[in-house]
Amino acid sequence: MLKIITRFAALATLGLVVGAHAADTIKIGLVNETTGPNAEAGQFTVNGASLAQEEINKAGGIMGRQIEFRVEDNQSTNPGTVLAYSKLIGEGGIAAILGPIRSTQIKAASPTIKKGGIPALVGGTDPSLTKDNNPWIFRVRPNDSYSAKVNAAYGVNDLKGKKWAIVHSTDAFGSGGKDALITELKALGVTPILVQGYTNNSQDFTPIVLAVKQSGADILGTYMTNSPDVGIFAKQLKQLGVNIKWIGSPSLISVTALKLAGDALYDTYSVADFTTDANDETKAFTKKYSAKFGLDPDVYASWAYGGMYILKTAIESAKSTEPDKLRAAILAIRGLKGVEGTYDFDQNGDGVHGYHVVRNDKGKIVFIKHIEFPPPAK
Amino acid sequence: MTNMAVNMQVLFSGLALGSIYALVALGFVLIIRATNVVNFAQGDFAMLGAYAMFTMFTVLKLPYWLAFLLALAVMTVIGVIFNYGVYYPLRNRSFLPVLISTLGASIFLQNTVLAVFGPQPQPLDKVFQSQGFQVGGVFLDSQYLVILVVTVIAVAFQYFFFEHTMLGKKLQATSQDKDMARLLGIPVAWMIAITFVYSATLGGLAGILVAPVLFVSIGMGSTIALKAFAATIIGGFGDVKGAIVGGILLGVVESFAAAYISVPYKDAFAFLLLFIFLLVRPQGIFGEKVSEKA
Repeated sequence: MLKIITRFAALATLGLVVGAHAADTIKIGLVNETTGPNAEAGQFTVNGASLAQEEINKAGGIMGRQIEFRVEDNQSTNPGTVLAYSKLIGEGGIAAILGPIRSTQIKAASPTIKKGGIPALVGGTDPSLTKDNNPWIFRVRPNDSYSAKVNAAYGVNDLKGKKWAIVHSTDAFGSGGKDALITELKALGVTPILVQGYTNNSQDFTPIVLAVKQSGADILGTYMTNSPDVGIFAKQLKQLGVNIKWIGSPSLISVTALKLAGDALYDTYSVADFTTDANDETKAFTKKYSAKFGLDPDVYASWAYGGMYILKTAIESAKSTEPDKLRAAILAIRGLKGVEGTYDFDQNGDGVHGYHVVRNDKGKIVFIKHIEFPPPAK
Repeated sequence: MTNMAVNMQVLFSGLALGSIYALVALGFVLIIRATNVVNFAQGDFAMLGAYAMFTMFTVLKLPYWLAFLLALAVMTVIGVIFNYGVYYPLRNRSFLPVLISTLGASIFLQNTVLAVFGPQPQPLDKVFQSQGFQVGGVFLDSQYLVILVVTVIAVAFQYFFFEHTMLGKKLQATSQDKDMARLLGIPVAWMIAITFVYSATLGGLAGILVAPVLFVSIGMGSTIALKAFAATIIGGFGDVKGAIVGGILLGVVESFAAAYISVPYKDAFAFLLLFIFLLVRPQGIFGEKVSEKA
């Protein structure tokens, strides 16, 4: 019995020591897809964030304080995200929270984030997320109003597409993207000749491919959510002999879509907020990331890596982790170069205002150009 | 593209998907007949078959025919384990515990595969190198052709097996009346075990066939199983002919509805068909009006 008591005492002391040590660190939460269907993406996110943590800590931390991570699993679900946020906020002592990257999850957690009153750096691209009267949501990626602008502008001006066929998933992301794309095309004087929705996880795209073929479209614009759908659609397009230009949302260049579709996606175009060879920042990041993890990073890693450096910059300029001061400091960030482009926060909390256009060159994603938009006026 | 060619193309893809529904539906029906229970893990047999094939062919790089046979062998083993792990301990209970047991098995199988293979879907090669060929404006995908041919063979084999072999007749007797079969000296427990093995293998075969088109993924079985289940009801609950006709009918209706009415509501048409059948002819196409088994 005595033995057990001593052991407990020892453990308790150890706990106190660790606790005391933790007080000196800056705690950052990460709401992450550790389990569930998006676990693969979640692993990239942890990699990206921990790479930044390691670099910052090695270089002396933030104001001499080391960063400590608290990863909370959201099981790739909306309720999981709400729970993870409640847990991290309830714990106290956390300066800011990163994640997640899915728009619907962020939407679900938005009231919790608002009540919690600490900055949340998110990666979802649904434009409405930062226009929700929630002062604590900051977006560290560009939003979809820009992706539609870039899709339309590049498709019409560079690819010379005149007759557009739009194919989109009927979920929140796909429908939102489709609406934005139609609006942007109209602004350029183009009305799509075919708009066709489909539900996620369709097993057969033959009717859609035939509709595209018969419409006589010369360019295809897509907002597709799931990579397997992209794979099946691309293969059937090729089989049924549809060879028109194709520009779409970033699922066209996801690692999974590239693997599943193979040559059926060659010579397609996509918008992307991260590519490995876009600029010096992304090249340096790619080098460090692939040295550590043995494979190239993608957007699931880059957004979190960038988010950590935004927090570092903001905490250093606020000289505090106090929520209100930190919020003001994030909003004041201008011209900070990072892996997602140049971070220029507007009053809504949107940090990035441009997209890259990339091309699938025999399975390799090649950077073509970057299109930047002025952030909304203050 | 002429209208005729468009219709043929739509019909072709409808027939191919319908065949897959039919193969999975056949597995459903055999187990329903043998045990009076709907096996909720039937779709997962397709998923497991596809992963077994992926392991043998893509990971271990075995020749296609060997990988195919080994994958089917894996499915027979899974059928045995399923029978003794999921069904047998509950065989003397009512249908509900068994039903829930199969549901639990489905969740367990999906998560086990997730833990072993990860969440990323995987591509699988087609049986033939050729993508397919063009016949009068209609593109015939080689894998879709394989699916159609294998379904016809499987159905013919099944007919021969059940009608013209002693084992098949014993299986039929077991499914019609277990007590009577037992009195006649048929080892009922064995017959049910064989039924599970056969359904698991059939489900696995469907998964292997469809994987080059739909990719190997954890969720691949669930959607197919839902449609296949609808097909068993449309065809006549527990009727072998019905499963095949119901599956193919469902695939074709779905395909044409998507082409001519609405793509986003494609799945809704499949279930609308089910709904109409439940209202107008609840016993299905081939179902007989049997009130209760005596």
